[in-house]
Amino acid sequence: MSADILSFIIFLPAVVAFGLMITTKHIETVRNIAFLTTTVILALVLKIYIDFEPSAGMQFVTNVPWIESYGINYYIGVDGFSLTILMMIAILIPTAYLLLWDGRTKGYWINMLLVQTGVTGSLLALDVVLFYFFWEVMLLPVFLMIGIYGFGDKVFTTIKVTVYTMLGSLLMFVAIIYLGVTYHNEFGAWSFQYDSFTQITSLSYNEKIWLFLAFLSAFAIKIPMFPLHTWIMETYKNAPTGAVFLLSSIMAKLGVYAVVRFLIPIFPEIYVEFSSWFVFIGLFGLVYFGIAALMQDDIKRMFAYSSASHLSFIAAGIFSLNAFGINGALYLIIAHAIATGALFLLVGIIHDETGYKTIKDLGGLAKQSPIFTTIFAIMLFANVGLPGTNGFVSELLIIFGIYEFNHTLGYISALTVIIGASYMLWMFQRAILQDRNGETLKFRDLKIKEIVGLAPWVFLVFLMGIYPDIFIDKFEPTVTHYLNDILHIGATK
Amino acid sequence: MSNLIHILPVSLVLVAAVALMLMSMFENKFNTKQYIIVSSVVLILTLILSFVPFGESYSVKPYDSIFNGVLIFDSFSNFFNILLIGGTLLTLLIGENYFQSRSYFKGEFFSILLFALFGMMMLANANELVTAYIALEIASFAVYIMVGYNTDDSKRVEAIFKYLVLGSFIGGFYLLGVVLVYGATQTTNLTEIATFISTHSNGDLALVYIGLTLILFTFLFKVAAFPFQSWVLDVYRGAPMIITAYMASTFKIAIFSFFLRAILQDMGTMIDFWDSIIYIIIIFTLVFGTWLAVTQKIVKRMLAASSIVHTGYLLLAFIALGQNIDAAYATVFYLIAYLLSALGSFGIISHIISETKVRVTYDDFKGLAKERPFLAAMMTIFLFSLAGIPSTIGFIGKFYVFTEAVNSGYSLLAVLAIIATFVSIYYYFKLIAMMYFYPTSEECVSNDFNDKRVSTYAIAFLAIVTIIGGIGSAIVFFIPILNIDTLIDFTQIAIQSLFIK
Repeated sequence: MSADILSFIIFLPAVVAFGLMITTKHIETVRNIAFLTTTVILALVLKIYIDFEPSAGMQFVTNVPWIESYGINYYIGVDGFSLTILMMIAILIPTAYLLLWDGRTKGYWINMLLVQTGVTGSLLALDVVLFYFFWEVMLLPVFLMIGIYGFGDKVFTTIKVTVYTMLGSLLMFVAIIYLGVTYHNEFGAWSFQYDSFTQITSLSYNEKIWLFLAFLSAFAIKIPMFPLHTWIMETYKNAPTGAVFLLSSIMAKLGVYAVVRFLIPIFPEIYVEFSSWFVFIGLFGLVYFGIAALMQDDIKRMFAYSSASHLSFIAAGIFSLNAFGINGALYLIIAHAIATGALFLLVGIIHDETGYKTIKDLGGLAKQSPIFTTIFAIMLFANVGLPGTNGFVSELLIIFGIYEFNHTLGYISALTVIIGASYMLWMFQRAILQDRNGETLKFRDLKIKEIVGLAPWVFLVFLMGIYPDIFIDKFEPTVTHYLNDILHIGATK
Repeated sequence: MSNLIHILPVSLVLVAAVALMLMSMFENKFNTKQYIIVSSVVLILTLILSFVPFGESYSVKPYDSIFNGVLIFDSFSNFFNILLIGGTLLTLLIGENYFQSRSYFKGEFFSILLFALFGMMMLANANELVTAYIALEIASFAVYIMVGYNTDDSKRVEAIFKYLVLGSFIGGFYLLGVVLVYGATQTTNLTEIATFISTHSNGDLALVYIGLTLILFTFLFKVAAFPFQSWVLDVYRGAPMIITAYMASTFKIAIFSFFLRAILQDMGTMIDFWDSIIYIIIIFTLVFGTWLAVTQKIVKRMLAASSIVHTGYLLLAFIALGQNIDAAYATVFYLIAYLLSALGSFGIISHIISETKVRVTYDDFKGLAKERPFLAAMMTIFLFSLAGIPSTIGFIGKFYVFTEAVNSGYSLLAVLAIIATFVSIYYYFKLIAMMYFYPTSEECVSNDFNDKRVSTYAIAFLAIVTIIGGIGSAIVFFIPILNIDTLIDFTQIAIQSLFIK
């Protein structure tokens, strides 16, 4: 059972979704069962989290043949990296359900369930083809959600986001096949496991660069890294709240995770050689998206840019070649997922209630809704990185990491945090605090259900901010091992 | 007895075809439904008979004194016969609604359909050039007639004439090729031609090479590769919907079966000679097919044009044959994947238009998901499969084909094919977007759909197979026999039987 628990976590939502699809039309039943499913998954993930042995490497592994003639295995497992993100997904999704509770249709919930299968699958997959399988599958429900429940020019948006992500995925697909064939030619047997790919030695330098870029394109589009970001503004603006939440808090993080899981171990030398470029691109993205966020009037677009800005920062941390940077990046992944997820959901509530999306239309929300404003402020400060919140710990770690990598870049990265603070606080002042708009008077405060949903997030923000060790201890051994392996290989080749 | 079991399926189809023709003389006594039942029962019987030797590896030439080695019965032909019978049976069942809604489908139509099947099965068994030609023409003529069946549509005349004239013309090339080959080798038997090629030096082989290249053109015409693709759009457009499905899926398999046999069993050296020709043809097929598909406004034409792109993928696996035998498995697997998804997608459209007659352009599909969610869901599955999205059999097929192409050193072609796949996502997803993201257009609203009928069940069956073929059963259902590998294992048995001497 302990080995199959991961498969259970992956496939339970999909099985439930198909079951609901053909059995009932009753929206409330569908929603309640979907919510129940996610809480069951949360319980299972908690069990894994407790049983997990931090220093033991890959655990709960299932490795059975899937397509035997090409050596493709159903190979899943969890280590410090994936456990952290698995935990994050398991906590975020059910609580997000509580915030999305009313006014959704049956298809909405079914798609939410299907997405969960896709994201957990690609998170836990250790066979590259299996990973690709889930990576593509998780996009399809989001595609439907944006197209059916989106706003504005939703069809164009859907096509745009599909085209972008598919382009990256297909480039990665070529690279996967090429690596598989190379492995086959070198070792005489087919295998698509990520640890087999790390053994390949017969690739030339040029081939490696091309393959590296092909993989990176898939991940960089999802993250998104500058200059592959142009799809997110339209998408975050026009997509329904649930889809925005999934894209920004969960799928973008999977892009970063995939860099750590597949890209760096398979191409360690390229990673080491070009790391300064990517740190630079990351920091540039941080500044660029930050300035762009300052200039937005549409609140969702502003958050889209802010999200991209933080993810660029995460990417810079990942490429900084040391434990501070990578630990910090992992920590920021979770911190950002919580803060941004909450903010997008809260903005979704604003939009549903008032119909306004631009900052200048809003204002004076604080008077009507003190609880809403408080939680909004907490998440905002976590996002900005105020001391005492989880954002502070993670940003500090990343800045240390970049400082160790290169002193000048370290100073620059420390300064860029100001940009984040300025657009966030300015927005907060204009949209929430400032009292000037009579039409937002009708705005309601949060319902009990929503407060219950957000409470664990608020709790986590402070817990992670004040006692980071209880979380970092779970994944730090993995990071240390990982870096030893990578930098060792990177140095000798 | 053992000899009889091999020739029984083919003979049964022939007998049934003749019997149906006789039946159709009494037009007043039987209605379309009865014809469908009779033909389906015959096909199911044939299918069961074909499954008797299935899974074994064998190669026999029964009644050799009569047939003189022109026909060969092995696991390969058995495998393809099963696919062809299955394809025809599914066409019949999916078209059940369509056949009954159109007055022009009379009894003799089903006889012709079985004659087409007979020709294709013979083609899969043929081991000699002239026999292959006769079988090909039996099948082709049957298809010509079926293309022209749609008396409601003024386009049919254009369709049938284009196809008939061009098809006969290219048949002339085939015969010329046979003559040249015979002139050089004094034989038309594939095995003997192979012996001749391997025992003679290049200087003596000029005529053989030219002759076989002419035969290759016939092949390229029938599978609609560039520059022989110009008939596809108009013929597919003019033909009755269900016949289009039949041509795009089942007929294509029959053509590939003969040429795979010829190349694999005997003429492996030819593929090296054709390498650069096919290389260029693949590039143009992919580019041109993609361009055509993107520019179409009518869904049927889009599917027709995209079938050219799929021919490009198939040829990609075909060209890789020269380097390694595994590419043959990829080719066959892709054929099956394409059979399922093409039959399904064309079938759904034919099912829909049998009631409304208007669902032909992209716009007509608006709001289908609201009206008939299950049909829309199944259409989505087939389109995903055609586009090669994971969790469908189309993805596995593409994975095999591209892997083998890269493995054989055709990386650039594989990249081009991936780009074509990328563009294909645009035109397939456009249809999905139409079905799901737009409200229903006014004139299509009609509530008296009867979706509980044989057609829909057959389509649902195809959709389930498409999904199971894409994820296998080992992961989710834990039923070992339905795994993805099962299919490729049978393919391997079939291909290996070609080398039994």
